[in-house]
Amino acid sequence: MRCLLPAVAEQLFRDIRKIYEETTQIPDDLLIALKFVFGSCALQALDLVDQRSVTCLSSPSGRKAFQVIGGSGRLYTCFLSCHYCPCPAFTYTVLRRNQGLLCKHILAVYLCQAMALTQQESVSDQQMSAMLSGTGAP
Amino acid sequence: MTDILTLVFRTFSSQTGQKQDPSVGPPPPSLRCSTLVVGEHRLSRSVLLLAAVTAASELGIRVSFFAQTRIQSLPVCLQRCSATLNPEGLKKIAFSYPRTLEELLQQVASLHESPLPPSLIIVDRLDGFLQEPVAGSHAGFHSGEESGAAHLSALLCDTAAFLTEVLEQRGSSSAPCRVIASFLLNVDSGQESRDYSATDPILVVLDRYFQARCTLDQDRSYEAAAAAAQEVWRIYLSGTKSPEDCEDGPALAQEWKLFTFPDGLMEFKLV
Repeated sequence: MRCLLPAVAEQLFRDIRKIYEETTQIPDDLLIALKFVFGSCALQALDLVDQRSVTCLSSPSGRKAFQVIGGSGRLYTCFLSCHYCPCPAFTYTVLRRNQGLLCKHILAVYLCQAMALTQQESVSDQQMSAMLSGTGAP
Repeated sequence: MTDILTLVFRTFSSQTGQKQDPSVGPPPPSLRCSTLVVGEHRLSRSVLLLAAVTAASELGIRVSFFAQTRIQSLPVCLQRCSATLNPEGLKKIAFSYPRTLEELLQQVASLHESPLPPSLIIVDRLDGFLQEPVAGSHAGFHSGEESGAAHLSALLCDTAAFLTEVLEQRGSSSAPCRVIASFLLNVDSGQESRDYSATDPILVVLDRYFQARCTLDQDRSYEAAAAAAQEVWRIYLSGTKSPEDCEDGPALAQEWKLFTFPDGLMEFKLV
């Protein structure tokens, strides 16, 4: 996902990427920084990462999108180039109240990308279109 | 996307305007690729049609035009401007008429399947798609109003970003892919100039995704009444800073005037 975040968050993901590459762990100071920048959704996002909940779907046209399996098993489709998630938290916390940068699903996408833990899956162009429009799942 | 609107304004600019740029040609492609036109319906649809025809005819790019209601005719100034109204150019515009938000989402989402992707995506009246009648109450935005607006805006921007990559990979000169959408505010007609963003929650959401704003505001001043025009509109092009802006320079800010005449002609003038 292209970064659309404040510089401090971008730097945090760069640090996580570098250290995780070397040690396959995230040290405590970076976990604290994650909690500081993203609040309570940081822990929930890390849970999603542990469960390998983020998949990058790609279709023959080259179009890609992320799909995140939520805690309840529901699938959330997120875009590559801008922040959007159909979950209620994104609508209320980010869009309506402007009190958060993103929801746990989008944060999980950033973390999985930084830690190279994103699953990969191919779908047809028609399936991709249905997912992007929110009318179907692969 | 302000490059195409700027081209439209220049193409149909006043011949007597002191600041008119004599070299009417395509400005350099803008990195600010999504623009929201906010204002009065009839006028904003005309501006969108001018943008579609100008982009297709002058720049030779493919245009996907989405509207809920059928386009019955082109603006008079286009009908009279035979040079701009190039039949070959018009063939590059694909008009689609989705009836609901769901249909619009499906049609925009499937643009990546097209072998000949558009370089300009236009959506007339986002508000019409986002506003659905609620049974037993006044018509209004449904409960998922913000989420629907965010989904549609994000899909438009993500689609444009993907199609830009496709066009660039093909070495096409028609990259980048731009998005222009119009949004009519639900405000009292008699209300004077207001801060739209502060009052409309949907517009706040749309502003998250659209990089530039084109605001149409009717000018009711004496000067406007004296201009012998039927109506005079102020057009403000504004936007957040983008990589194309120099570091210390201002964000996008440009003002035009639009004169509409009783015979349907439209004339733009840089302020």
